[in-house]
Amino acid sequence: MQASRARLFKEYKEVQREKTADPDIQLVCDDTNIFKWTALIKGPSETPYEGGVFQLAFAVPEQYPLQPPQVRFLTKIFHPNVHFKTGEICLDILKNAWSPAWTLQSVCRAIIALMAHPEPDSPLNCDSGNLLRSGDLRGYQSMARMYTRLAAMPKKG
Amino acid sequence: MNDESSSSSSNDFNPCPICLGHFKQEAFLDRCFHKFCYSCILNWAKYVSTQSSQQNSTLKCPLCKRHNLSIVYGYDGDSFQQHYINQDSPKSNFFSKVHKFRLQSYYREPGAIYEKFNVLQYWKYRRYLLPNKWLQTWLRREVQALTQEEDVDIIVHHILGVIESFVRLSEREHPKSTTEQKREEFKALIADAARPFLIGRTEHFVNEVELFLSSGLNIEAYDEVYLESLCSVTSGVKSEVAEEGSHEQTLNVPYLHFFYEDSDTD
Repeated sequence: MQASRARLFKEYKEVQREKTADPDIQLVCDDTNIFKWTALIKGPSETPYEGGVFQLAFAVPEQYPLQPPQVRFLTKIFHPNVHFKTGEICLDILKNAWSPAWTLQSVCRAIIALMAHPEPDSPLNCDSGNLLRSGDLRGYQSMARMYTRLAAMPKKG
Repeated sequence: MNDESSSSSSNDFNPCPICLGHFKQEAFLDRCFHKFCYSCILNWAKYVSTQSSQQNSTLKCPLCKRHNLSIVYGYDGDSFQQHYINQDSPKSNFFSKVHKFRLQSYYREPGAIYEKFNVLQYWKYRRYLLPNKWLQTWLRREVQALTQEEDVDIIVHHILGVIESFVRLSEREHPKSTTEQKREEFKALIADAARPFLIGRTEHFVNEVELFLSSGLNIEAYDEVYLESLCSVTSGVKSEVAEEGSHEQTLNVPYLHFFYEDSDTD
């Protein structure tokens, strides 16, 4: 408990200090609870998520960093490894490949990398996975782009 | 490299990858040489070992995933200490509460427990000729507790072999020797077999073997009686002792009966 708090505080200070270091990631800690964080990440370029801003919710366990944080998308996203309804993310480093050397910041980076390189063989979103597995890249991209426009971009006035 | 001329001192700060703070006690993994606080990497190693069902002998580096056998720490210029990844998990796995209890009982004076079982009757009525199906399990636990090693099969096998051959040969070769001689011979044989492994605890161990065999109890029942006798020695509370006393009676008589009548069937 004490260790997780101390470490999260270090991460908080680091985020404050390097606010401009990574323009694609904006990590924000909850005002009252250091175990609750949100992040805004930019969809990587040359992907159907380009131009979108996606919100992530972090729930950090008390055993952190021995245990990984629980992360999910709050913004709807069409991606083979993200559950379409709950936003749950299938990513090995958030499960058994976790290492305490990961930080919330680097987890965000890993999620951005996952957005650019989907793993259709371990799908949480079967429709999306099937499109990719059957070779229908165009179908996947247009669906993903549509949801990016609908959910991750500011509404046009 | 030069000195702190530039303003990059904050960038040079290289924290422990796990706590992100300054290194408290520097420790290195033995293969990849990545550096952590000793307590941080030890905590991680312990956490990993609780998560996996089988025992780990290596730890994946949190930074590079290379497998390491030990954590090197306490380096002071000439010497260092080493924590092996497999060293703490086996004990916590096999060394149960009961092992601890048995080990502790070897540090106590054997007292009241001797009065609970009639050892002389065991020899007089030659009950050692009857097989004891709990002996192997009991011996294994006993030797594990004393040596604090998990794999004691060889020692147990050796001692069992000595006991079995004693039973087999005693009737054939020395049918005329007295009860007391038999008993002495038995204890000497076990002591010889066990001494290389148990050293200073050998005599006590031999007495325990004799006691367990004479009790005719299974392991759980034997432990219970043992625990009770320890309690009655250590605690001077009257009522407890009185309670124990009545217990004792009910324990002693029926169990000896069981042994006679059910030893073959049960």
